Amino acid sequence: MAADVHNKGVPWESQNGVLAPVDRLRQDRSDSPTPGLVEGTEPGAGQDSAMFVHAQSFEDLMADGEDVQATSVGSEGDQEPEVLEELGDQGQQTKEDQQEIRPGVRTKEEDVTSESWRQHRKHVFVLSEAGKPIYSRYGTEEALSSTMGVMMALVSFVEAEKDIIGSIHGDGYKVVFLRKSPLVLVGVAQTRQSERELSRELHYIYYQIISLLTLTQLNHVFRHKQNYDLRRLLAGSEHLTDSLLRHLDRDPGFLLSAVTCLPLTSSTRDVISSSLQASRAKSLVFSILLAGSRLVTLVRKKDQFLHHMDLHLLFNLVGSSSSFREGEGWTPICLPKFNTAGFFHAHISYLEPASDLCLILVSTDREDFFNLSDCKRRFLDRLRRRSAYQVLQEALKAPTYSVSQVGIPELRHFVYKSKSSGLYTSPEFPVPYQSEEEQERLMELYQYLHSRMHHPTRPLRSIYSCGESESLLAWVTSGFELYLCFSPLATKALATAAINKLLKWIRKEEERLFILNPQTY
Amino acid sequence: MSTKRVSVLRKDSKNGKNPLLERCPSTNEYFDIAFKVMLLGDSAVGKTCFLVQFKDGTFLAGNFIATVGIDYRNKVVTVDNLKVKLQIWDTAGQERFRSVTHAYYRDAQALLLLYDITSKSSFDNIRAWLTEIHEYAQKDVVIMLLGNKSDMVHERVIKQEEGQRLAREYGVPFMETSAKTGINVELAFLAVAKELKQRVSQQPNEPKFQIHDYIESQKQKSGCCGFM
Repeated sequence: MAADVHNKGVPWESQNGVLAPVDRLRQDRSDSPTPGLVEGTEPGAGQDSAMFVHAQSFEDLMADGEDVQATSVGSEGDQEPEVLEELGDQGQQTKEDQQEIRPGVRTKEEDVTSESWRQHRKHVFVLSEAGKPIYSRYGTEEALSSTMGVMMALVSFVEAEKDIIGSIHGDGYKVVFLRKSPLVLVGVAQTRQSERELSRELHYIYYQIISLLTLTQLNHVFRHKQNYDLRRLLAGSEHLTDSLLRHLDRDPGFLLSAVTCLPLTSSTRDVISSSLQASRAKSLVFSILLAGSRLVTLVRKKDQFLHHMDLHLLFNLVGSSSSFREGEGWTPICLPKFNTAGFFHAHISYLEPASDLCLILVSTDREDFFNLSDCKRRFLDRLRRRSAYQVLQEALKAPTYSVSQVGIPELRHFVYKSKSSGLYTSPEFPVPYQSEEEQERLMELYQYLHSRMHHPTRPLRSIYSCGESESLLAWVTSGFELYLCFSPLATKALATAAINKLLKWIRKEEERLFILNPQTY
Repeated sequence: MSTKRVSVLRKDSKNGKNPLLERCPSTNEYFDIAFKVMLLGDSAVGKTCFLVQFKDGTFLAGNFIATVGIDYRNKVVTVDNLKVKLQIWDTAGQERFRSVTHAYYRDAQALLLLYDITSKSSFDNIRAWLTEIHEYAQKDVVIMLLGNKSDMVHERVIKQEEGQRLAREYGVPFMETSAKTGINVELAFLAVAKELKQRVSQQPNEPKFQIHDYIESQKQKSGCCGFM
C-alpha cells in the first residue's frame, strides 16, 4: 500500500552525500549549508501531503491577530544573514526561580503581596472587559481583583485615545497585553522572550479558554451579562491552563509550532495507521494515537487539516486529566483553529489502563459515543491481530535516542523541525541537562534564539551564540528550522560543519523519526 | 460484534433493547443483563471517587481533578446468581458540561444523585438536579439520593435527617456514603442492580422487590452522627 509512496515524489540521492533532490533547481539558498534543500524536500517532509494546517512558523500563527508588525516579515531586504554574539553571563540569570511549582500542585493560597509572588518568572492573568478576574497563574483571583482592575484601566485608558496598548517594558519586566474581546489577557515576564513570543503564549491561553466554551458561547455570555463571572463556566479547568503554561515553558513543540513523533519503523507505523484508518466511523474527522506527548499516528478526513495548536490543546487536555486512564472519556471540545463556533466530540481512552498509548477520536456527532467506542475496540483488535501492538509497546519502553548516535562529539542536543510536515525531532537530554532546571534553562536559550530568528522587523537566518556553559547555533531555511547546542569548546566553524552531518543523519533516520505517509479517511 | 445468544430473560419492553448475553469487551466477563447507571451531582461531591471505590476498591486521595465531559466504565456484579453488567456514566459536575450530560440522561435506567455532606450548596442544588432529571430522564428511572463524604464528621454541615427528609419528599431512597471508607458504596450499586433486575425478570409469584426496605436493612450507619 505505502511501499511505493517513497518513490513517488522526488528521487532521492543520498548515497553520494547530496541531500538535495537532483531534479530540483538550485534556488536562492546559496548561503545555506544545504543548497537546494527547499521546503517540501527537507528531511522529515511528508511524501503526499502534510497532516497539519500549513503553518510554517509562528508568523503564520500570528497572522490572524491584530499583530500588524507581522506583515513586514516577508521582505528579506533588511535581513541580517548572520549574527555572532556572546551570551556572557546571561546563561546564569535564569536560575533564581527554582522554587517554582511542581506539576499538579496549585499554589493558590500564595500571598499576592509577598516578595516570592513577585519573583515568579512569568505571570499570566485573564480578565473580562468589565475588569473581573478570570484566571491568575499564581495567587487567587479574588486577592488580585484590584490588580486586574488596574490592568483594565490601563487598557481602557489607551483605548480612549483610539489606540491599543501592546506592552510595557521596564525594570527587567515585560508586561504584554492581548485584547481578544470579550477577554483581556496580560502576561508579566522576567524571561528573555520577546514581546511577540509572550503574546503568542497568551494566544494559547485564549484558545485554551475557547476550546472549553467556543467563542460563540463566550460572546453570548458576555453580551447577556457584561459583569458575568466566567470562572463559573470554567470551573475545574484551572489545572488545564496551569499545565498549558508549563508546556509553553518546557516543550520545544510549543515553541516551534510542531509535534514530535514516537520513533517507529515505517512498516510498523504503516500497520498502525492503516488499522486506525480501517476502524472508521462516519462521523470521524480526526483519529489521533498518542504515546504520552508524542504522536504515533494521525488519520484525518480527506481535505480536513488539524492545526498543530489544536493538537497541542488536545495533548494538554489528555495529559492533565487522569480520569481517561480507566474508562472511556467523552467530551465536547472546540478546536479553535478549526472553528471557533462549534464543538467536536472527542472519545478519549487509553488502549490499556497501564499503557501510555492514548487514542483520541474526534467526531462531529455528540450521540456517537458507542459507535466510537466500537471503533476503538476494532482498532485494538486489528493491532493485536497484526501483532503491531507488541512492537508498539516495546517502542514505548525504549529511550528515544541519544545524541551520540549522530556521531558529532561536541554536539549535546538539538531540535530539528521540518517545516512542511510540521514535525520535529529531538534527542534525549544528555547528562548536563538532566535536571528540570537545566532543561528549562536550555529551553529558554532556544526560546531566546527563536525570538531573535523571528524578530518582526529584523529576522535572521542563522545565529551563533557562545556562552559559559554551552554554545548554540540556530539555522532557519525555507525547509527547516534547526537549533543546536554544543559544548562551550565548539567553534563556530565546527558548529556550522555539524549542520550538514546532522541533516544527513536525520535524512537517514527520517522514516523512523517522522511520519512520512499520513493517512486519510 | 461479539457473539450473542438469546437470553432467558424477558425483554425490557420500555427500553426496546433486549439485555442479551454478551461479551463485555473491557473486562472480558460474560454477563446476562446490562443496565445503564449515571452518577450526577455538583462538581467535587466525589462522584469519580465513589465510582473508583466501587470499581477498584481504592480511594483516589490527593488533588481534586475534575472529570472532563463524561467518563464511561463498566463493572459486572452478581445479583441472585445473575451476572449484571452495570454500564456507568460518571459525569462532570460543571455547568459547561450540562448539555452533554443531558444527551445521555434518557438512556440511563438508574441515577445516583450525590451531594457532599460538608457542602451546603451541593445539597441545596439537589432540588435543581431533580427538576432536571424529571425533565430529561426516563419516567420510570430509578433514582437514589446519596450524601457522600460521611467520613468527614467534623466538617459536616448537612444533617442526615435533612437528607432523609428531602429524599422522602421526592419519594426516593436515601443513604449516606463514604467513597473514602467505602461505606454503603457497593450497596448503592447493588440495590440499583437488584431493583432493575427485578423489574425485568420478576416472576409472577415473586414478591415485589422493595428498594427502600432493602437499603434500610442493609445500610451501615455512618458512625457518630447521632449527636449532630
